[in-house]
Amino acid sequence: MSEISVTGKIARSGATRRETPEERQRKATIQISAGVLLIAAIVAVAFYSQGANPKGAYIWIIGIGLGYVLQRSRFCFTASLRDPILTGSTTLTKAVIIALALSSVAYAALQIKATGMNLETLEVAKLPGWIRDVGIHTVIGGFLFGIGAVLAGGCASGTLMRMGEGFAQQWLSFVFFVVGSVIGSVLLPLMQAAGLYRKGAVYLPQFFGGWVPALIVQFALLATLYVLADWYGKKKSGEL
Amino acid sequence: MAEKSLDCLGEACPIPLVKAQKEMERMAVNDVLIVNVDHSCAMKNLPDWARSAGHAVEIEEVGEGEWDIIIQKLK
Repeated sequence: MSEISVTGKIARSGATRRETPEERQRKATIQISAGVLLIAAIVAVAFYSQGANPKGAYIWIIGIGLGYVLQRSRFCFTASLRDPILTGSTTLTKAVIIALALSSVAYAALQIKATGMNLETLEVAKLPGWIRDVGIHTVIGGFLFGIGAVLAGGCASGTLMRMGEGFAQQWLSFVFFVVGSVIGSVLLPLMQAAGLYRKGAVYLPQFFGGWVPALIVQFALLATLYVLADWYGKKKSGEL
Repeated sequence: MAEKSLDCLGEACPIPLVKAQKEMERMAVNDVLIVNVDHSCAMKNLPDWARSAGHAVEIEEVGEGEWDIIIQKLK
C-alpha cells in the first residue's frame, strides 16, 4: 500500500473504475484468510522437509525469504539489464552489481574452504558449486535467454515471483520455461558430442593464478561497472 | 487539455512502458495519459521513465494489484 502516492495535482476525469470500499473490504478478508492458511502450509512443509532432509527446513525458509525480498524490493535481473536502454534508469543495475559483490564474498569464502589457497594441483571438477565447461554455446544461450526474458517479462526468479503475484501470463511463461529446459537437457549431450565444448571448465581463481589476484580482478571489474552504471544513470536523468 | 486512457491490463513489464512512450509522442503538452496496469514491474519502470523524461507522475492503486499511472506531459 505504500506505493500509492496520489497528490491529486494532475487534474483527471477518472477514467478507470475504482474498487468500492465494500469490494476492498471483501478482498482484504479473503487475503487475510488465505495468508493465514499459507503460513500454516509453509510451516507444515518445513516440518515435513526437515524429516526428509536434515537441511530441508533451512533451504525451504531461505527460499521463501528470498522470494519475499524479491517481491517487495521489485528486484528484477531482466529489468537491471533492460531498463538502462528502455528508460535510462540504472538503479536496478547498481543493485544487481552490489548483490554480485556481496555474493562474491560469501561464494569465495565457501570456495576457499573447499580449495585451500594452493590452486596449482586443483581438480576443478571436484569443486562445489556450478562450475561447468564454457564455449560458444554459453554466449548463444545467454543471448537467447535474454531475448526470452524480455519477451516473457522476467527471468527465472522474476517469473516465479510474478506467478505468485497472480499475473496469469507468467504461468504461461513458466510452462514454456520448463519446455525449454527439457529441450536444453536433451540437446546438451548432443552439443558435447559435436565438439562445441571447450575441454574442461575455466576456474577463474586458477586462471588468474591464485585467490588474491582473482578477487582483485573480480572486485575491480564490479567497481568499474558500478561507476559506469552510476554515471550512465545520472547522465540519462540529466543530473550531469 | 486532452485526457487519454491506455488499457495495459494483462501486459507484461516492458509493454506498458513502450505503449506509453509511443502514446506520449503523439500527445500535446499538458495532456494527461492514464495507464491502467496490473504488472507490478510496470509500476517501477513507467514512473521512472516518465520522471526522467521530465513529466509529472502520480500512481493510484485502483484495485488490489491494479494501478493507474497518471502522467501529465510537461514538455
